[in-house]
Amino acid sequence: MERGDLVVLKAIGALLDYPRPELRAALPEISEVIGASHLVRPKDRLSLLRLVESIHAAKPLVAEERYVELFDRGRATSLYLFEHVHGEARERGGAMVELKAVYAAAGFELSSRELPDYLPVVLEYLSCRDIAEAKAMLGDCAHILRAIGEALLQRGSDYAAALQALLGIIGEPELNVKAASGRRVGREDLDAEWIERPAFEPAGPPGAGRG
Amino acid sequence: MSHFLDRLSYFTRRREPFASGLGEVRQENRTWEEGYRLRWQHDKIVRSTHGVNCTGSCSWKIYVKGGVVTWETQQTDYPRTRPGMPNHEPRGCSRGASYSWYLYSANRLKYPMVRGRLVQAWRRARERLAPVEAWAAIMNDAGQAGGYKGMRGRGGFVRSSWEEVTEIIAAANIHTIKTYGPDRVVGFSPIPAMSMVSFASGGRYLSLIGGTMLSFYDWYCDLPPSSPQTWGEQTDVPESADWYNSAYLIAWGSNVPQTRTPDAHFFVEARYNGTKVVAITPDYSEVAKLSDLWLHPKQGTDSALAMAVGHVILREFFLDRQVPYFEDYCRRFTDLPMLVRLERQGEHWVAGRTLRASDLPDTNAGDNAEWKILAVDEATSAIVVPQGSIGYRWPKAGGGGQWNLEGRDGASRREVRLALSLIEKRDEVLPVAFPYFGNQPHERFTGNDQGGGVLVRNVPVRRVRLADGDAEVATVFDIMCAHYGLERGLGGAAAQSFADNVPYTPAWQEPITGVAADKAIALARGFAETAEKTRGRSMVIIGAGVNHWYHQDMTYRSIINFLMMCGTVGVSGGGFSHYVGQEKVRPQTGWAALTFALDWVRPPRHMAGTSFFYAHSDQWRYEKVGVEELLSPLADKRAYQGGMIDLNVRAERMGWLPSAPQLETNPLRLAAAAREAGVAVKDYVVEGLKSGRLRMASEDPDKPANFPRNLFLWRSNLFGSSGKGHEYFLRHFLGTKNGLQGKDLGEEGGQKPEEVVWRDPAPEGKLDLVVTLDFRMSTSCLYSDIVLPTATWYEKNDLNTTDMHPFIHPLSAAVDPVWESRSDWEIYKAIAECFSALAPGHLGIEQDVVLTPLQHDTPTELAQPLEVLDWKKGECDLIPGRTGPGISVVERDYPNTYRRYTALGPLMDTLGNGGKGISWNTAAEVHELGELNHLVVEEGATKGRPSIATDIDAAEVILSLAPETNGHVAAKAWEALSRITGREHRHLASAREDEKIRFYDIVAQPRKIITSPTWSGIESESVSYNASYTNVHELIPWRTLSGRQHFYQDHRWMRDFGEGFALYRPPVDTRTVAPLLGKRSNGAPEIVLNFITPHQKWGIHTTYTDNLIMLTLSRGGPIVWISETDAKAAGIADNDWIELFNLNGAITARAVVSQRVQAGMCLMYHAQEKIVNVPGSEVTGLRGGIHNSVTRTLLKPTHMVGGYAQLSYGLNYYGTVGANRDEFVIVRRMAKVDWMNEPERQAAE
Repeated sequence: MERGDLVVLKAIGALLDYPRPELRAALPEISEVIGASHLVRPKDRLSLLRLVESIHAAKPLVAEERYVELFDRGRATSLYLFEHVHGEARERGGAMVELKAVYAAAGFELSSRELPDYLPVVLEYLSCRDIAEAKAMLGDCAHILRAIGEALLQRGSDYAAALQALLGIIGEPELNVKAASGRRVGREDLDAEWIERPAFEPAGPPGAGRG
Repeated sequence: MSHFLDRLSYFTRRREPFASGLGEVRQENRTWEEGYRLRWQHDKIVRSTHGVNCTGSCSWKIYVKGGVVTWETQQTDYPRTRPGMPNHEPRGCSRGASYSWYLYSANRLKYPMVRGRLVQAWRRARERLAPVEAWAAIMNDAGQAGGYKGMRGRGGFVRSSWEEVTEIIAAANIHTIKTYGPDRVVGFSPIPAMSMVSFASGGRYLSLIGGTMLSFYDWYCDLPPSSPQTWGEQTDVPESADWYNSAYLIAWGSNVPQTRTPDAHFFVEARYNGTKVVAITPDYSEVAKLSDLWLHPKQGTDSALAMAVGHVILREFFLDRQVPYFEDYCRRFTDLPMLVRLERQGEHWVAGRTLRASDLPDTNAGDNAEWKILAVDEATSAIVVPQGSIGYRWPKAGGGGQWNLEGRDGASRREVRLALSLIEKRDEVLPVAFPYFGNQPHERFTGNDQGGGVLVRNVPVRRVRLADGDAEVATVFDIMCAHYGLERGLGGAAAQSFADNVPYTPAWQEPITGVAADKAIALARGFAETAEKTRGRSMVIIGAGVNHWYHQDMTYRSIINFLMMCGTVGVSGGGFSHYVGQEKVRPQTGWAALTFALDWVRPPRHMAGTSFFYAHSDQWRYEKVGVEELLSPLADKRAYQGGMIDLNVRAERMGWLPSAPQLETNPLRLAAAAREAGVAVKDYVVEGLKSGRLRMASEDPDKPANFPRNLFLWRSNLFGSSGKGHEYFLRHFLGTKNGLQGKDLGEEGGQKPEEVVWRDPAPEGKLDLVVTLDFRMSTSCLYSDIVLPTATWYEKNDLNTTDMHPFIHPLSAAVDPVWESRSDWEIYKAIAECFSALAPGHLGIEQDVVLTPLQHDTPTELAQPLEVLDWKKGECDLIPGRTGPGISVVERDYPNTYRRYTALGPLMDTLGNGGKGISWNTAAEVHELGELNHLVVEEGATKGRPSIATDIDAAEVILSLAPETNGHVAAKAWEALSRITGREHRHLASAREDEKIRFYDIVAQPRKIITSPTWSGIESESVSYNASYTNVHELIPWRTLSGRQHFYQDHRWMRDFGEGFALYRPPVDTRTVAPLLGKRSNGAPEIVLNFITPHQKWGIHTTYTDNLIMLTLSRGGPIVWISETDAKAAGIADNDWIELFNLNGAITARAVVSQRVQAGMCLMYHAQEKIVNVPGSEVTGLRGGIHNSVTRTLLKPTHMVGGYAQLSYGLNYYGTVGANRDEFVIVRRMAKVDWMNEPERQAAE
């Protein structure tokens, strides 16, 4: 069967999935697809191949522990796109329904117990579509890909390469290594992240009243 | 599409008017409406609820579209209450509404997870060995076992498959059972009411294999021991709607709007109904804000205030003036008229035990005379044996019919009017000594010195002739009046007025509590006057705020005292409303049969959670509170040598408390050994225990043979929210890094226990395997070896009830469990299946020796009537089920565990079902279940039995077997009770006799349960549910010694520990602060504060604090509230990072500086997860702990008492409780906040 250019999306999605034995067995094939891809920029190809190599080189359980630590807990590096958009808000259900409808309109039924917004699911879908749709959809979620990528960079993870490659395909600027590595989570950052501005600013001179 | 070209820019079309110009016809594009239609379009609405321990039990509509849960709204279809009462709905709070996205959250557990190091060892071993042998090989290799244990709580998980994890679990269970015994496999799951089938799944598996189920209610310290002590019932309380019927409502240590949100409207509506509403909380709480009066006694001193209230009521409503309603109520429904023997002790007398029919020289009181209490008939002055005491409850064959409160003499059966007081008919006045604890010094609580620990008061007594000679007796009422310090013209010391500083006057309590005497008087008068006018419609809502203290039963009993004095208990709108934990499993007897596999094997193994954790997390090794500090100054101290663990060992040995693991020997080996010796198993065990050849495991908890080996946690966050003494758990139970700062008694050279073997070094990592089922990566999961992803509350079918409303309603599956998750029922089914497959060759049909404590609501509650005798000390013989634990031999069919799990067993046909002392035949229900669930058709051990394949089948078993949900069963249950009481009760259920509530009925609409003798209230169209209603209105005795409500506790231990009568005791000194104060300075000033842990505002009980919405509304991590005064002294500003620490461990959190909090205390909401924004501790060098990191549990000896009427063991009924409020911590500003963000690089090799 003739493979199209977009199969590289499927390959990148596979790399982002759990490093189970099937995936490890397919690593040579994935390398081949990445090495031959015109869509991925040469620089990103090298980083991707380094990721493949690091998964390959690690002892299976070490690779799995690393994956669990990165992706199975917490929000910042979650591979579920709507986690970054809706968090635990009720809009998330509606968004998933709409995404499933997009898949269905193209003739794809979600057959696994995965959620529709899981990045490897999205990439598998796009690998079966045309380049215009792929670029449009990746473009729509570029800010999420960037957020995940930078969070991975900050953790010094090779997995950032996958997000960088996706951003490269749609011509987005590089992940901001400097911002990511320079950023330490300190008290001020936490405050900034959690603070909520008062609904009504207090009237009168500063300090006269606190909400 | 913008529709730009479709819109007219320069024209409007002519519109045809109609309806005289009020309407017009338009022709335009309406596709924009589609967006709104789509937004709210859904495929189906499913009824479910949140199985969380918050008592709300609110039914929700779950909207599903395209197989995805899209949103949820409150259900509004509860059957309405009767006219004149507000309805229950809407139920469901905004916190509950924030739940839905746990389902798809990044924190959701998606796959079975296992510790990397463990699975590596496992896979390596499995390459050459069969599963059970592989587990044995890992256990026998100390390096491998220690390797993964030491990683607990430090990451290192990998995904696994269901096949692999069930195989590891089954192999570990089989190895443990074979090597050490089935009681070494232990399960902990709390609050069955929140999801009964899920609880039942693990309970059923463990009970089939002979594992131990731990209690939770007592361990959580939500169990009020005062409730069994007073009523012989555990937390039977009014539904929240009944608050509306109250005329005087006190919320005492219960923050109703915050922790009972869906019920709080009844509280508010009561005010519109003219009800006076009072809040008593040390902090300016949410409930204080909406009450008419707020009293704020210093935290932990509430019993002093309550005693003063009792003093005022006795003075003004019993002595100065008599209220006929109060007197009549107390005479008929309390122990106040009962006779107590006074014992001579030097210069004075002390109150002894109650007089029994067996004490009389000539009695015709029939059998069980030692359990029949006595009183004086007012008309004849003769001593009578009133019906209804516990001696009438368990008649010999052919007897019965006299266990009732008809007010008759049991011998003559004539009606009698019992005398409350003998003051007019006294033979003399004697000086009686009472213990007094208000003078006990405590560095941080003000006492009220009365010149010693003994108060002498004059009591009017009668002299009577008993079998063993002349004796002085008095009524409970007369002794209690003396105890309360009331002047009755008998001379001696007593309070002449409320202003005297004499215990227990309003003036006396003022220096202790800080509440002005006149406020205490006003409270007492308001409460009692209202009760007088309304015949008992005064109520106290009470909760964790006062129950979590070490001496919680003193606070509760001093409050219950005035509830009883005012005739409020058993009256609609009145009484005791204790709400802590969703403890009411309404269809309890149906549920218990399924959960404990009573259809296949009896008895199950139960264990008191607190005693278990105290022993096995080795908190006893660090005990700093001595037994002698707790004893009454009037007690003979020689009888209580040793430490707290020693008393617990004696209690287990005497059959008072259960024990787990039970014997040092594997209980599967005993039957064969007995056969070899040629004696009966029971005799073999008795002889072995007496000779010392067999030993109770509790006497040597640190010996490897006695470790609990496998632990299952489900529906719980044991290590994260309820592990009192968290750091002790980490060190000894789990064997991992911990922040424990203290030294044990060995290292300190302290007084070691007498009964318990001391081993050095202390064991670390007793548990071989910790398995947790959860849907999120909780703190407990992080410390587990295997984590199983369970279905959430929208992905499974289950049952839900609460004590707050009378409905039963379901959890039902809106969507299939996502990812690899499965319902608890399916998970344990899979484990059982694997277990059965692996068992042959290791375990077959085995004889298991099971020890059981003397149980409440069984004939063994009549085991030890008069004195405390220890067989091991030669004070009596060891008679199983009487002077020690019961001994049974149970046959276990291990290879058929799976088949038994999935089918209803034959004991339901042959032995029937029952609960709370009555039993009935269930053959008809078994037959119906066979038709409903279908019969097992596969060949084998269960062919032809009703199938329990699915969670819905399991729900149907519960519903069919329980009187609350099956009218025919209710009728049978009431008839069974009638045979004992001699009264007709069936009318209570007859109107609903033909009603059967099935799973799909409650899916359609919540259903009100059917009135059943399991509970003491009734479901009716004329009154709201209120506890003790059938005691008062049907004259069914309370399940206590006297059959009445108890002011007086006459058990030897209760008296010797000074708690015969309720009184004030200051908090205990846990001694955890002084050794560290100023010793670990970081430069910041240090202050010492009492550590209080109430329930959440920004979270729901134990489950919700890692929810993004809750975190956003709060401060996004752990917080501790402190007062402005304390903050100033310690130089702490609002939002500063602070550290709280003592010998037990350390906590890091942000300070909330608030006027809400009184100086001297700090307040940390219960169960803030360790996994969210917790920086490193400057004291331990590790990440800061959770709220339980600074606590250590303390046993109270009076909670160990057993074999004595209402003071007999029952799972989650009575037993030691995990108190944690008496703790103090050092608080200071942190100098450096270290987020410890460098990952720990210790992945599997």
